Amino acid sequence: MNPARICFLLLSLAAGWLPAGAQSGVLMRAMQDELDRSMTELRLGDLERPYFISYSVQEVSEIRATASLGGLSSSGESASRTLHVEVRVGDRNLDNTNFIVRPDFSSMEDMSFGTASLPLEDNYEELRRGLWLATDRAYKHALDHIAKKRAVLQNETVVEEVPDFSIEEPYQYQDASDLSPPDAARLRALAVELSLAFREQAHIHVSSVEVSARLIRVQYVSSEGSSFLRDDPSTAVTVRAGSRAADGTEISDSFTAFGRTLEDLPAISFLSAQSRELSGRLKGLREAQVFERYAGPVLFEGQAAAELVRQVLLPRLLVQKVPLADDGRMRQAMDRLSNPFQDKLGSRVLPRFLAIADDPTLRENEDGPLWGGYAVDDEGVPARQVQLVQRGMLKTLLSTRNPIAGIPQSNGHMRGGGPAPSNLVVTSSSGLTADEMSEEFRALLEERELEYGVVLRRIRDSGSRSLAGGSTGRARGGRLLRAVVAVKVFADGREELIRDAVLTGLSEGGFRDIVAASEALTSHSFRFRSVGPSFDPFASINAARRFGTVVSVVVPSLLFEDVSVRRPPGNIPRPPVVPKPPSGD
Amino acid sequence: MIASCVSPFSIARDLGNLAMRPTKETMATILYAIAFLLFPATLHGAVDVLGVMATELDRSVEILSKESTPLYYLSYEITEDDRVSVVASFGAVSRNSRSDGRILDIDLRVGDKDLDNTHPVRDGRGRGFRRPSLTRVSVTNPEALRTSLWLATDRKYRQATERIARVKASVRINVEDEDRAADFSPQQAEEFSEKPRSIAVDTSVWAEKLKRYSAPFAEADHIYAGSAALSAVAVTRWYVNSEGARIRTSQTSYRLSVFGLTKAEDGMNLPRYEQFFAFNEDDMPDDETVMQTVGTVIADLQALRVAPVAEPYSGPAILSGRASGVFFHEILGHRVEGHRQREADDGQTFKDMTGESLLPESFSVVFDPGVRHAAGTDLAGAFKFDNEGVKGQRVLVIDRGVLRRFLMSRRPIEGFSGSNGHGRKQPGFSVVARQSNLFVEVDEPLADSALKEMLVNQLREEGKDYGLLFDAIQGGFTFTGRSVPNAFNVLPTMVYRIYPDGRQELVRGVDLIGTPLTTFSKIAAGGTVLATFNGLCGAESGGVPVSAISPPILVSQIEVQRKGKSQQRVPVLPAPSGLNRTGIRVTPGGVQ
Repeated sequence: MNPARICFLLLSLAAGWLPAGAQSGVLMRAMQDELDRSMTELRLGDLERPYFISYSVQEVSEIRATASLGGLSSSGESASRTLHVEVRVGDRNLDNTNFIVRPDFSSMEDMSFGTASLPLEDNYEELRRGLWLATDRAYKHALDHIAKKRAVLQNETVVEEVPDFSIEEPYQYQDASDLSPPDAARLRALAVELSLAFREQAHIHVSSVEVSARLIRVQYVSSEGSSFLRDDPSTAVTVRAGSRAADGTEISDSFTAFGRTLEDLPAISFLSAQSRELSGRLKGLREAQVFERYAGPVLFEGQAAAELVRQVLLPRLLVQKVPLADDGRMRQAMDRLSNPFQDKLGSRVLPRFLAIADDPTLRENEDGPLWGGYAVDDEGVPARQVQLVQRGMLKTLLSTRNPIAGIPQSNGHMRGGGPAPSNLVVTSSSGLTADEMSEEFRALLEERELEYGVVLRRIRDSGSRSLAGGSTGRARGGRLLRAVVAVKVFADGREELIRDAVLTGLSEGGFRDIVAASEALTSHSFRFRSVGPSFDPFASINAARRFGTVVSVVVPSLLFEDVSVRRPPGNIPRPPVVPKPPSGD
Repeated sequence: MIASCVSPFSIARDLGNLAMRPTKETMATILYAIAFLLFPATLHGAVDVLGVMATELDRSVEILSKESTPLYYLSYEITEDDRVSVVASFGAVSRNSRSDGRILDIDLRVGDKDLDNTHPVRDGRGRGFRRPSLTRVSVTNPEALRTSLWLATDRKYRQATERIARVKASVRINVEDEDRAADFSPQQAEEFSEKPRSIAVDTSVWAEKLKRYSAPFAEADHIYAGSAALSAVAVTRWYVNSEGARIRTSQTSYRLSVFGLTKAEDGMNLPRYEQFFAFNEDDMPDDETVMQTVGTVIADLQALRVAPVAEPYSGPAILSGRASGVFFHEILGHRVEGHRQREADDGQTFKDMTGESLLPESFSVVFDPGVRHAAGTDLAGAFKFDNEGVKGQRVLVIDRGVLRRFLMSRRPIEGFSGSNGHGRKQPGFSVVARQSNLFVEVDEPLADSALKEMLVNQLREEGKDYGLLFDAIQGGFTFTGRSVPNAFNVLPTMVYRIYPDGRQELVRGVDLIGTPLTTFSKIAAGGTVLATFNGLCGAESGGVPVSAISPPILVSQIEVQRKGKSQQRVPVLPAPSGLNRTGIRVTPGGVQ
């Protein structure tokens, strides 16, 4: 049998198991029945009963392929159905959650509480069995945790009484989309064809095209009466390429296009053109001049402004309670979850002309479709628009049912195990035209008597991986914001491309000093991985956490008065001794 | 520390895809998880992969051997892995996946054969499990392949030049190596090519089979996990080196595993595994055979759940063929892996013992990757060439009780310079000497019933209440380092007490433990009927498939310790109604 036929057989099988609206009632019924039984009957001896139980089942059907220069390098298909159980004992004010215990790695049972693999088929009895056993484990785990948590609290005085679980109205939602499974052959063909864009581009050392299509259906029930069925189809194509300048500096860039299905992706002609553009960019960068350092006004345009907001500001707009831990080391580790913006509610964090809203109900803007929307979050809380910053003042943060002081309710942003944005829109009440922006920029340069200013047009995607074979294993500049496309702009409007520049010392505090913002907005989408409050070794099973949720950021171009830009620290690896192999044979 | 373990493939499969600190239960899992991640295969069609590899290799050698730190050896190996996996639990399919991919491995050496960049640097960091570095390549486009080879070679060359400087410093600063052998042995270049094979699995047919196989678990009481899993893999390897080796091998393998788990009233988890292995789908067992096995597993679980807990014990025992195979794999096999006789942090148990008698004169131990079938099954540890392009050879390690030689990669040890084709690894790791198919051979074997008679006689002579019989096992592990006790552990699932009157009683909750040299001296006799254990062995060069073939043996004194036990009770609520129907009789022969 030839390989092509194997693929076909697999695909047809996977297709048979994909969520099909009509049959999904069986799973929901099994979930509801076991939930009801557990709420009424589940009790170990004279210990407490659960006060809350929820089931969330993720059905994932995934197809992926990676190609390079017209050849497939890897591909795969898989189907799975994963259950997450949440069992809470105690009461809303103090329950088993928000508490971290160093896990016992030697016990599988300790490790696997709360998650289980369920049958792909709608077999009521076997679904019930899976639900029953996982609930039992989660319940015992909850009892163990609440006992330990109470023991720790015996020796501490609680300074800030914040409940563990917020009260929300029950909500029901059902939206089964009628999507057909992605066509694996088409997906592979897309990867292969697109990867040909880098053929006969002698300056490109490494390139790859990765295409993935996933159908994710989430079904949820809780003992409070909430339930939902939500489809999260997601398709993405990522194009990466890398090269080296003559001095050995590694140069790479990538872009990702998103859609719900393969049909939503831009046309291949458009993606190919973007790939050739990427190749052209790298060619220009190879020859661009090496940059030393600069301090002064910096204009962030388009993708660079969006990536700046993503990497610096966005993490500050999410909030969750810092969990209690049973030992000092774990407590330190948990401190990374604390957010300085929590203490800035009501304070000014941006200039008065800027505002930020997160809006999961948006599906598009003038620029085209936005991909961060959803109708209901992972805790069954309906999605809603949240005004985060108004006239420069921080109003609230994106929250889940895990409250903090000052934000007692969820605003429907639990995604992938923690708070996450959806469509984050930054707007200016006094947006400038392109000409006005340049003028403002030049005025700042004159005031400083600077010969030139720096404009950033692309910043490296913080989610991008280094290219196979492209890295020496020692990333220069580590976690710093790294410019991919940056230019010096001289007073006469002349531009000079620079390469290998990083931004230093720009933190969320610096956003207050934004001088101007454009009227025109750019949208930029990426995958976002949330940081959950619990140590969950099985988090990788959570589809949203494993794949990330797609988030769109819409921003104006932003002009900062004072930013430092410099070469990344560290030495440059020597260029390869052996020249690149001749192409075309 | 080096910890190595062997487990049936099924354990790894069922414990799934977590990564955690290695413990005895999870070691295999980690390795397997790695293996699962890194392999994804197919469609190389008309491209002369070996030719492209050779061209790029020659070009790099030509240039890099003229550098100030010249390269003296270079090899490329590409491993293509195409796999299908289907799992059913309690009669319903729970997972279905397919993946393919290709990993490039490069061995690049600077310096010379006596001292090169692979020489251990004694910096106190030890070796142990390392995360593999994976370079994925495409083999359908010559240009893409050559570029990947070029970039990866450049990276390896940088690492090699940097490392040789550290090696030379380490050699000057530290005391002389205990073992003064060279770093690399000369080898004749091989040429071999076989047709690429692909897996031909109709997953819809297999899904139905697996549902049937796992369905009886749903009919039995107190079973908390009951699954049947198929894993079908095609592995194609292309290998070239600067000595002129040009090798292409291709192998398919099919594994079917059955796994069940129950819990005793005291919370102890009681697993039971069985598996079938074959190179061809046609040689997989028929439905009747598998259903019988499932019936046995279920009956065993029911018996285990109510079996008494065994006490720590020291005394005579019989090890079934499979238990004995794993026992030899752990206590002997890992200690005759050549490199463990030379590294400063290794126990070097047998370093100066060649020519000495270790086992009774009637026992010989042979490793032979060339044997593909024994005791009724294909052998997972079979291969034609190792990962250094050396033909897998038959190695007589213990000849009539006397230690003769070691398993060798191209890394020499004092007194043994040449490879015998046992340099193995999982893609992404570095080669070390590893096991293949281990055969325990017994001259003048006793009838299996005679072994039991000997055991009973010993019990009477020593006035012991009972002896032990280790039957089914789930795997084992051993430590060979210097900084930890040099011990082994075999993990049995079915253990029986044998009383002086010949009666047998199933017990639960013990592992077979010991230290190697003491244990060797206690091996008393071997039986007749051979059994095979096919497993995945994990060590510092990753997970490699191995087999162990042995008759049952009698050991005059063994030691057991209590198993680690779960603290979780049996489920609070009964199974949802409709499940666990009673009235089904389960017998060792199958489900009626």
